[in-house]
Amino acid sequence: MYRRQNRMSNHRSAASLRALFAPATTRRGFLRLAGTTAAFTALSQVRVMPAAAAGVANAGASGRFFDDAETEILTQLMQRITDTGLPDAPRVRDTRAVATVDAVCLGLDPAVSGVLPLALRLFEWGPLLFDLRFARFSELPDAEQDASLRSWMTSRLALRRMAFLGVRNLCFMGWYSQPEVWPLIGYQGPLLRRAAAATTPT
Amino acid sequence: MIEKLLERGGDLSTRADVCVIGSGAGGAVAAAVLAAGGRDVVVLEQGEHWTSRDFTQREDEMLPRLFEEAGMRQTVDGGITILQGRSVGGSTVHNLCYAFRTPPAILRMWREEHALPELTDAALAESFERVETNLRVKPIREDEVNTLNRLLRSGAQKLGYSGFVTQHNRENCVKAGYCLLGCSYDAKQSMLVTYVPRASEAGARVFANARAERIEAPPSGARRVHGHIVDHAGRTRGSIVVEARSVVLAAGAVASPDLLLRSGLGGPEVGRHLHLHPSVMVAGYWPEPIHAYRGIPQSYYIDEFIDLERDPHTGYVLMPISGFPVLAAVNVPGFGREHFREMRDFSKLGGLLVLLHDRSEGSVRSGRSLGKPEIRYALDAGDRAQLSLGLRHCAEVLFAAGAKRVVVPFLSQPLVLERGADLAAIAQREVREGTLPIASTHPQSTCRMGGDPTTSVVNAFGELHGTRGVFVADMSVFPTSLGAPPQITTAALADRTAHHILAGGSERTG
Repeated sequence: MYRRQNRMSNHRSAASLRALFAPATTRRGFLRLAGTTAAFTALSQVRVMPAAAAGVANAGASGRFFDDAETEILTQLMQRITDTGLPDAPRVRDTRAVATVDAVCLGLDPAVSGVLPLALRLFEWGPLLFDLRFARFSELPDAEQDASLRSWMTSRLALRRMAFLGVRNLCFMGWYSQPEVWPLIGYQGPLLRRAAAATTPT
Repeated sequence: MIEKLLERGGDLSTRADVCVIGSGAGGAVAAAVLAAGGRDVVVLEQGEHWTSRDFTQREDEMLPRLFEEAGMRQTVDGGITILQGRSVGGSTVHNLCYAFRTPPAILRMWREEHALPELTDAALAESFERVETNLRVKPIREDEVNTLNRLLRSGAQKLGYSGFVTQHNRENCVKAGYCLLGCSYDAKQSMLVTYVPRASEAGARVFANARAERIEAPPSGARRVHGHIVDHAGRTRGSIVVEARSVVLAAGAVASPDLLLRSGLGGPEVGRHLHLHPSVMVAGYWPEPIHAYRGIPQSYYIDEFIDLERDPHTGYVLMPISGFPVLAAVNVPGFGREHFREMRDFSKLGGLLVLLHDRSEGSVRSGRSLGKPEIRYALDAGDRAQLSLGLRHCAEVLFAAGAKRVVVPFLSQPLVLERGADLAAIAQREVREGTLPIASTHPQSTCRMGGDPTTSVVNAFGELHGTRGVFVADMSVFPTSLGAPPQITTAALADRTAHHILAGGSERTG
């Protein structure tokens, strides 16, 4: 009962956080965003984001963990993080890699997964927040997206490095689980016939 | 009977002689011994009941099914990843089947430094024999040593390093190599196919999706375990109350102290003295594909750098390690094309793991959520130095085994060493949590055993000091780091605890 009440009471703040990080953020919105970054940092130390967790609790009802905007951010992040440089490699969009990550997150305890949507929004606004570039991650060309990711990876803030590793590893979970990726690295795949059948792309 | 409470629906309110919490190497053994001894046993396992039919050999499906937090559980600062099981059978479902008895020097140290004179080799001999028989422990045959293990053995032998082919608990192994993702062939003699069915056949009621959250242990009367029926994401679906004369807590070295702390039991030492056996994988790349993920993943064991008879408190071992694409990818630093340059050679990749017998101590505290306890751990200076030396020895063995390139996975900038490179470069890099992908599969010692109630949580039989009828029977009772793979020690101590209960030791009559 307590848990349910806690989720309900956090619903409003979850909604306001999502609005705060929505793609159509205005200048005033950006200032609010920057102002709350410090608060985010402090909250992240707590490791549990009840507000975001409430959002996660709602996500299950739709059958998806990430909303459309978050899915687009994740797709762009994964494309750069898993870039092979091979001209004939599949594109992230053409695989089930993002859907795989979504399914994994949907099955996690909200205490674990609750922070992820917010983290994606921070990656999207990372160029503005941390690199003083007046652009969102998704608007940047490939090389500058890579530079933005590198600034997360090598940040002096342990929290940013940790967030990068978390998102990076989720992207690898999605990408390297795809049967069409395995030939690129010489992995022969599962031995079970049923696993092979289950992984045949449709 | 093994029942999935999610499928049954409703609440669970029942009575038993003994309530066992957890179904891994400790809980399953305790449950089977107690049930066979005539006790009415209830087992509460928070994870799902997966069987070999569910093991698909795919990482995206099996990591979330078998591991806490889908394999992403970390210390509070993100410096160390902790891999723990979360299903009926616990971590034995995904472990790699090294089967070692407790090293005699460690038992001696526990007796002498932790006031445990009862823990003699003779006192544990029967428990070891029973456990090894039931888990079908046997030497790994030469034809079962896979390519990577053979290569690393040749490297160690060239360098004159001590090592040996170990014992394991597999039966009719088909050498597929997917042990880490659950054995699809029921060859691995995990608790899932040994002690859990034995417990069930002896009358124990095993409940999956059953999360214990609090133990009520009044000075008189029965013990009560309160909890919830939970789905895989931890969402509650019903309530649980089990009334029992005794409780055996075997939820692992993270959840067990968390549960005691939430219950106000066990005293001030609960959750302290966490050891992790921290480990780091150094990657070697051979000129040709070796497909290291095929065959028994770990059969050879290099013990050159640990001498427990000389010093039972320190040292490290080297263990072959291979992985599947996702697990390999997360161990390769960087991203994008630089990362893929290493991944492109996945079929040529073989790893060697340095695993520390750590002196450093961390802690487990209850978090704001049951799904997210707070785990803190930092390597002390001595362990950092040991780890650095271990990385160097990994590189040395990998080159001697024929690797043409070795990568030490420093997160800021991986150290790529070509054959003939000066390995002293490793010592120039900072080694601590946060600079390398450090992992732990053996959290232990958070409810440690000892004769002194002011410095320990349980006595020599695993019973809480000062709270009769509540026992702990998992790796959290180890007084110190074990310095060896823990499966058999955990099972043998649980066997001993269960036989003590059967003999009437401290059982409540309430």
